[in-house]
Amino acid sequence: MSNRTTFIGAVEIGTSKITVLVGEHNGRELAIIGRGECPSRGVIKGAVVDYKAASECTHRALELAEREAGERIDVVFLAQTGSHLEGFYNEAAVNVKASDNMVETGDVRTVCELAKAKELPHGRMVVHHIRRPFRLDGRLVPGNPENLVGQRLEVGYWTVHGLEQRLADTIHVIRGFNLEVGELVLSSLAAGHMVTTPEERQNGVLVIDIGAGTTDYALYRDGAAHTTGVVAVGGSHLTNDLSIGLRLKEGQAEKLKLRYGRADVVTRERSQKVWLDGTFAIGDRQFPQQAIEQITAARAQEILEVVKSRLGNAFSLENCAAGVVLTGGTAKLPGIASVAARVFGVPAHLGEAPSWISENLRDPGYHTALGLLYCGVGSRTERLGARGQGGGFLAGLRKLFSQS
Amino acid sequence: MNSETIRTPAVRNWRDIAQPVRSRAMSRGGRWRRVMVGLRTLTAVLSLAVLVASAWYLLNAVTPQPGDLPPAAKAGLLRRLELRTSAGGVLDEAWLRPALALPPGISLMELDLPRLRERLLRDGQIESASLSREFPDRLVVRITERSPVARVRAGSATASRDLLVSADGTVFRGAGHDPAMIEGLPWLAGVSLVAEGEGFRRVQGMTPVAQLLSDAQFAALNLYRSWVSVSLARLESDREIEVATRNGSTVVFAASREYFAQLAKLDYLVERLSNTPAARVRIDLSYGRNVPVRIDPPEPAAPAGARRATPAPVPAARPFFSILPSATTQRTSP
Repeated sequence: MSNRTTFIGAVEIGTSKITVLVGEHNGRELAIIGRGECPSRGVIKGAVVDYKAASECTHRALELAEREAGERIDVVFLAQTGSHLEGFYNEAAVNVKASDNMVETGDVRTVCELAKAKELPHGRMVVHHIRRPFRLDGRLVPGNPENLVGQRLEVGYWTVHGLEQRLADTIHVIRGFNLEVGELVLSSLAAGHMVTTPEERQNGVLVIDIGAGTTDYALYRDGAAHTTGVVAVGGSHLTNDLSIGLRLKEGQAEKLKLRYGRADVVTRERSQKVWLDGTFAIGDRQFPQQAIEQITAARAQEILEVVKSRLGNAFSLENCAAGVVLTGGTAKLPGIASVAARVFGVPAHLGEAPSWISENLRDPGYHTALGLLYCGVGSRTERLGARGQGGGFLAGLRKLFSQS
Repeated sequence: MNSETIRTPAVRNWRDIAQPVRSRAMSRGGRWRRVMVGLRTLTAVLSLAVLVASAWYLLNAVTPQPGDLPPAAKAGLLRRLELRTSAGGVLDEAWLRPALALPPGISLMELDLPRLRERLLRDGQIESASLSREFPDRLVVRITERSPVARVRAGSATASRDLLVSADGTVFRGAGHDPAMIEGLPWLAGVSLVAEGEGFRRVQGMTPVAQLLSDAQFAALNLYRSWVSVSLARLESDREIEVATRNGSTVVFAASREYFAQLAKLDYLVERLSNTPAARVRIDLSYGRNVPVRIDPPEPAAPAGARRATPAPVPAARPFFSILPSATTQRTSP
């Protein structure tokens, strides 16, 4: 990326709200100069179902962010989530060509291209190719294997792909504001990049971003993203459960969830009740607090268990030494870290943005947008640099997500 | 296996999605942004155009132009014109000023010398010209003039004018010449003038004619003075030049032979025929050693009362005779 100042908009089109952060990037430093938020409409489980409504609130958030920044956004980095996103692992191996068994650039390129050359079902497109570390004669090579000596070079890619129509819908929402989408980053990777340290990613860490409509997760091993996924369950399901269980309207249930919802049950007295509004006005009524906690805790635990079952063999105690990091708006649910620790059997804690992030952006709801900015800038820099050097198409992302 | 042998399937990436959207799919803010981007682009293009135009203007301002002289040079006004003609020149400074058509109050540095030279050379009388500034206020014009060797009459049924012809065939109006000298020039006959630009195309074949006239002036001036016209009608076809004299006689010269010998024969014959009564004589010098001479006797004076009578038969012309030039090859000085 050149030294010209670029104003980047990080856009997360979520189920409950749309978040836009504006970053000023001068080629060396990135400063966050604007923020815009707007309640989301026309988006269900991360997918755009009403183009006009989704466009209106996204554009509103973009306008607010631009107004606060006092600058016009040049390019947008867009977070991508939704149950249509899937992933698979594909690996390839080549015999080292040189007679002295020294790995050359051609060997690396060949094995990488082979590992990525897996055909996708019709109508699906690649979002990310995430490279796992190379293996040379079975030994792990965290970095570039060039000039190392060995006979067999292996590499694997975790390929994230999604439905072309869904991807196009979200891109067109941004284009409707006459902005170009420069990078498309998986929400879980963006959030994971922000709430974990390189050491945690090296030791193995599971990042779970529990949003309103979806729960994104990314398992890091050996410093790189190993497995990613999206579960179409989120905080809105807790609200929905409360609404059904307590016969409340959605807005009332959401209010109760935010006030009294927990991921574990701590109230022992069945008779302990809480007021809906606390105003003692007509229509205000009492609900047993234990019931609220039981409903939300059951669903929260279920979400975590679904994530664990999706991970399958990829998750193990040995490969996740750094534990579980929770982020996203629903991660603010009290007690969720202890539940996660119980479900996964490893330490769990709430993700926190790095200390240099200003106080008003440290809320878990901003982790994805913050990660988008930093992730996208790195990816774009690497990609443009690789293009200038004749590198691969996603060389930047490959490097970023493989070794950080 | 190497990279040349890999046949990997083309995997579609999200970047393959076409990003442009239709205008109706854009929000008001998006359309406004697009208009602003268009305006910004337009402004940038216009700024660039203004920049280029300014640079061009500056470049022109600092580059000296032929018609754009610095103010310091404009200070010296042209005050004197000087004409220097080659030997035999008849033009003077009175002719020069209107010929140059200089505007009043022009400075010496404002003169466009190549254009002025071109203007002078348009006059056929000027063979060559050079102009030079002599500071502080003088323009010196050096010219070489063409000398006329003959006259020619150009014109239509309604108007005609007399023009001069130089040795190289150039036809020009002629200025500054002595009228007596002009009167002494023979007329050119048997030529057709072809208009070209403001004047006429050069007369072809003037070189042998000019040589004849020059030799005649030099060797037989008395004969030359009696010549009225020189015809080029048979020059191209028969290589013959026909000269008509004041007394109605005709002399035919061979253009391919030396003129001095022919003039000597002519001089001899004229002297021999001076005592012979004749109305018209035709002397043909184009046969070489033999010179046919045809003598037409003068018509007898008819009585006044017989004017309406049947005219008397014309006596037959005297037969041709030949004169051996061996006895007359001595050249006499005019």
